[in-house]
Amino acid sequence: MLSAERVSKSYKAGRRHVLLDTDFSLDRGEFCAVMGESGSGKSTLLAIIAGILKPDRGVVRLDDQDLYALPDHEMARIHQKKIGYVPQSNILLKNYTVLENLILPFLSAKDQNEEALKEEAVALLEKLGVSDLADRYPYELSGGEQKRVSLGRALLMDPEIVIADEPTTGLDSSTGRIILSCLAEQAASGKSVLVATHDDHVKEYAGRVLDITKI
Amino acid sequence: MGSRRVKNLIRNIRSHAFYNACLLVTISILSVILFAGIVVSRSLYKGMDNMQKRLGADIMLVPKGAKEKAENMLLEGSRSTFYFDASIYEKVAAVDGISEITSQCFLKSLSADCCSSEVEIVFFDPQSDFVVAPWIETEYRKDLSGNQVVVGNSISSEDGKIKLFGQEYPVVSKMAKTGTALDSSVYFTSEAMGEILENAEEKGSFLTEDQKNGGILSSIFINLKAGEKSEKVVESVHQVIGDIFDVVYPKQLHASLSGSLTKITGIVNIISFVLGGLLVLILLIINSILMNQRKQEVALFRVLGRTKRDLIRMLVSEMGLISISGAVIGCLLSAVIVIPFGAFIGRSLNMPYLGPGLAATMVSFALIVLGVFLIVFLASIFFIVHISSVDPYLAMRREE
Repeated sequence: MLSAERVSKSYKAGRRHVLLDTDFSLDRGEFCAVMGESGSGKSTLLAIIAGILKPDRGVVRLDDQDLYALPDHEMARIHQKKIGYVPQSNILLKNYTVLENLILPFLSAKDQNEEALKEEAVALLEKLGVSDLADRYPYELSGGEQKRVSLGRALLMDPEIVIADEPTTGLDSSTGRIILSCLAEQAASGKSVLVATHDDHVKEYAGRVLDITKI
Repeated sequence: MGSRRVKNLIRNIRSHAFYNACLLVTISILSVILFAGIVVSRSLYKGMDNMQKRLGADIMLVPKGAKEKAENMLLEGSRSTFYFDASIYEKVAAVDGISEITSQCFLKSLSADCCSSEVEIVFFDPQSDFVVAPWIETEYRKDLSGNQVVVGNSISSEDGKIKLFGQEYPVVSKMAKTGTALDSSVYFTSEAMGEILENAEEKGSFLTEDQKNGGILSSIFINLKAGEKSEKVVESVHQVIGDIFDVVYPKQLHASLSGSLTKITGIVNIISFVLGGLLVLILLIINSILMNQRKQEVALFRVLGRTKRDLIRMLVSEMGLISISGAVIGCLLSAVIVIPFGAFIGRSLNMPYLGPGLAATMVSFALIVLGVFLIVFLASIFFIVHISSVDPYLAMRREE
């Protein structure tokens, strides 16, 4: 379904190689965890696969389409409908409430009904245990609450693939479990889930665990 | 644009309140400078143009030693009186090379009821006049009788009358605005001179012996025949009446003022250009900081499926809203400063100053709003395109 073929990426004008001719594939309904030390390239691999970081070399395919060869509007459509990405840091719009943070990015799509989106967003927040925070602002939330809102935002459009970068890092174990359970549920419902982590608890939920150094 | 979009636009602007406020202030200052520069320059040119039309004589003869007073009176609005013996008029009129000739007599009033300060009373001969009469005719087409008065544009006469030396006179017309001292003068025909001088003396106004005796005039205006040289005519006048006069050449006066005006507008342009350049530099710096701050937010929107075009449109709309608001605020502030103090500006520069009309002001206003929007657009589009194009992952990581 989603694959990376011989992708390479370096930073600092080619002085720091992070990925070199790496191959990776993710199947439908699979929960895959990529593990490894900090700086080993987990997040870079996830970003390349998510279509938000162009590799120096190599191809990323989604359903046989070369992701980085797509025009901007096609790529945007894929990000809106097919790939839900949870960034490592909790990036929320500070002047918007939790509920607005969930729905606002998607309101530009012409086929989106604001009321229907709100209903879905509230249901997701409830599932993640933060529905009582719907009208709060990001600065009023803890790190764990912010992470759950970020995950809710990634899931709102019911994407086929969910990619989460360090979803449990820095969280207490109960919040971590809520998040991992939610991701596992996604996989169980036929969605593909890919996470980068060094949290060993993930192994309990993931169907496949990969060591980034051995890919 | 839907109301939700406008609401979100404002909320986005408020999210970066400090830098957007800096942007708004910078744009407002830029607009104040542009609007003031344009309005002042236009007003000076209009005043100059008007003055040229009003001083429609080739030569103006004034008593010896009164040249500077006459020039100041015309340009700066200072009140002066100087007199010839009226008998010279016929002698000058007989000189060859003259196509039109007329005379005027000036008298300073005490403070008139109509005015906060004294006014200049000008007596003229409607039969021969070609300097004042054409301007009266634009608003008043009947012949003036002895006690009727035409007032300059700055003189108010709400009840249709003006009181001078204790006597009320009906105001029959108002002159068109000139931006010169003529705006604060009142105009009688020569017939009224005797009565007004009498009243002036009765009311304690100090009159010179010449004034008391009557038979006086202050200046003679001459238009030459086509191809006639002014020097030759002046020499002929010398031979007839002797060395008792000075010559003011209104057209030369205009040429010299045009030179000054070119210098003033040149300085205004240089100052506007330097300040404008500096403000554009500040705009670039603020935009650079602001866009850098918004990198993460823009990256997030792209990760969540917004197109680059959509984001560029969002950022340009925000910039547009700020620039148009700043330009409108700046132009209004500038208008409040420049328009009411136009006469003061003219006096300070020793130049005729005639404010532009409403239509011209509105055109300037619209052009500045459009121009400022374009400046802000050009000063921000590079940053906007850049942050919309950078890999979202890198933009998000740099903010961590």
